[in-house]
Amino acid sequence: MGEAMAADGDVLIASGVGMVFNADSANPVRALGDISFGLRKSEVLAIVGPSGCGKTTLFNIIAGLITPSQGSVSVNGVQVAGAKGHVGYMLQKDMLLPWRSVLDNVTLGLEVRGVSRAESVEIAHRLITSYGLGGFENAKPATLSGGMRQRVAFMRTLAFDPDVILLDEPFSALDFQTRLLLQGEVQRIIRERGKSVILVTHDIGEAITMADRIVVMTNRPATVKCVHTIELSDSERDPVTIRTNPLYNQYFNQIWSELEIRREI
Amino acid sequence: MTIAVPARQRGSLVSPWLLILLGQIALTIGFFGLWEIAIRAQWLPVYLYGQPSGIAGKFVTLIADGSLIQSTLVTGFESLVGFVIGCFFGSVAGLALWLTPRLALVLRPFIVAINGLPKIALAPLIIVWFGIGIESKIAVAAIITFIVSLMTAFSGAQEVDQDLIRLMRSLGATQRQTFVKIVAPATMPWIISGLRLNVGFALIGAVVGEYIAAKQGLGYLVYYAGTLYDLNAVWVGLFALMLLALVLDYAVTLLERWLSW
Ligand SMILES: Nc1ncnc2c1ncn2[C@@H]1O[C@H](COP(=O)(O)OP(=O)(O)OP(=O)(O)O)[C@@H](O)[C@H]1O
Ligand SMILES: [Mg+2]
Repeated sequence: MGEAMAADGDVLIASGVGMVFNADSANPVRALGDISFGLRKSEVLAIVGPSGCGKTTLFNIIAGLITPSQGSVSVNGVQVAGAKGHVGYMLQKDMLLPWRSVLDNVTLGLEVRGVSRAESVEIAHRLITSYGLGGFENAKPATLSGGMRQRVAFMRTLAFDPDVILLDEPFSALDFQTRLLLQGEVQRIIRERGKSVILVTHDIGEAITMADRIVVMTNRPATVKCVHTIELSDSERDPVTIRTNPLYNQYFNQIWSELEIRREI
Repeated sequence: MTIAVPARQRGSLVSPWLLILLGQIALTIGFFGLWEIAIRAQWLPVYLYGQPSGIAGKFVTLIADGSLIQSTLVTGFESLVGFVIGCFFGSVAGLALWLTPRLALVLRPFIVAINGLPKIALAPLIIVWFGIGIESKIAVAAIITFIVSLMTAFSGAQEVDQDLIRLMRSLGATQRQTFVKIVAPATMPWIISGLRLNVGFALIGAVVGEYIAAKQGLGYLVYYAGTLYDLNAVWVGLFALMLLALVLDYAVTLLERWLSW
């Protein structure tokens, strides 16, 4: 078991984050209990937790979209106060703009930052060609497969080169094969670029494949239940062959038993 | 990209389109033929229904003396100008309300109330304000289409996926950037559907305006012919209106192609 608490030098530190929705109403929703953790530089930290435990809420707080009821988050030593584009946030759905081409979807974040058109087109071009979508620059999202759309959404997140990237169940809508493919690709890109990533997922296998550490959350209101350090080298992290690794099964069973899966079915 | 084309039925000799077209022609001929026969056989009184051959004759007369063309142009002009003014300002106002959510909250019940009103009921009032010239018909068409466009643009802007707005905010976008890059384009299909509705409303506005008080236009022609029991002339006017509606609708189709993403 690893250590959740933040240490000096962490790129992102959540300390005592709690969230209550509709606090003043008759039935307040306590989404997050008391969450503290640190994200190390160039680390992939996976968060797994039961459905509805507050994972997306945590991301919204980190991205500055909502203000926590208690506690705070800091990124690169700066307190998060409002949405300022300090992290790259890839939402649960791909959220591509149907009226824009692939290229113009990728440049969205750059436009918002006022990067010149020529420069953003060049950045987007490089991303698109180096990640296997060359030739689709002018295609509309509606003509792309689910996997391609998700790639475009990921490139849009990478385009403005954020240090910290939040991925909210990025592959959950994809079929199994495509999911494994993208896990491998995204993992490679993240490591190449040394990004620090928080990955929310329901898929324990995905978490083991991609993450350096895995945070297991409790049911709502979510708190950190435990943290696992995944001792696998990069070469052992192939999404397919990892499944034959005895360590994989060990982690899997451990985490599965820790998740408070309600037997409602 | 491939475009789905209805495949020709295996074994059938004619394409489905041709069949559809033939059906439409047959229906038209059958309808007018039956009508003509019903009048000639005196199953229906001609003074209540008119008669296709008489309508054709009337059409020739009204074309020859130029009055049909002139009336069509007048009504077309009124509807078109009213349509453009109403749709433009209505859509802009509806979108702008997104930028001022407080004002939108204040105005909402009023907008809903005005929208609930049968808008054509405003026509007499507008005629009083704007007189009996073409300005008042333009005003009727403009005000009605304004309300419809305002409503569609406003509700469209409210319907924009909140996750898109979250995405923009997470990128650090300002309210203005979110409006320009997301809200306005995402609302476009709604605005276009408003335009489509408004083709009908603009014509209704102009024609009802002419019914109430006018010296020219198709509405005036129809209304005046009606008071004289000249049913054939009424029909000529109505068919001209139908044609006008088709033309305006086609113009919107072109506009739609240009505006849509
Ligand atoms: N704006 C809000 N107002 C009230 N309740 C909310 C709001 N947003 C989220 N919630 C509630 O907070 C809880 C946590 O929601 P959240 O979306 O963060 O969960 P999640 O872990 O991401 O779920 P999932 O696994 O389904 O994606 C849920 O019970 C949800 O209904
Ligand atoms: Mg979620």
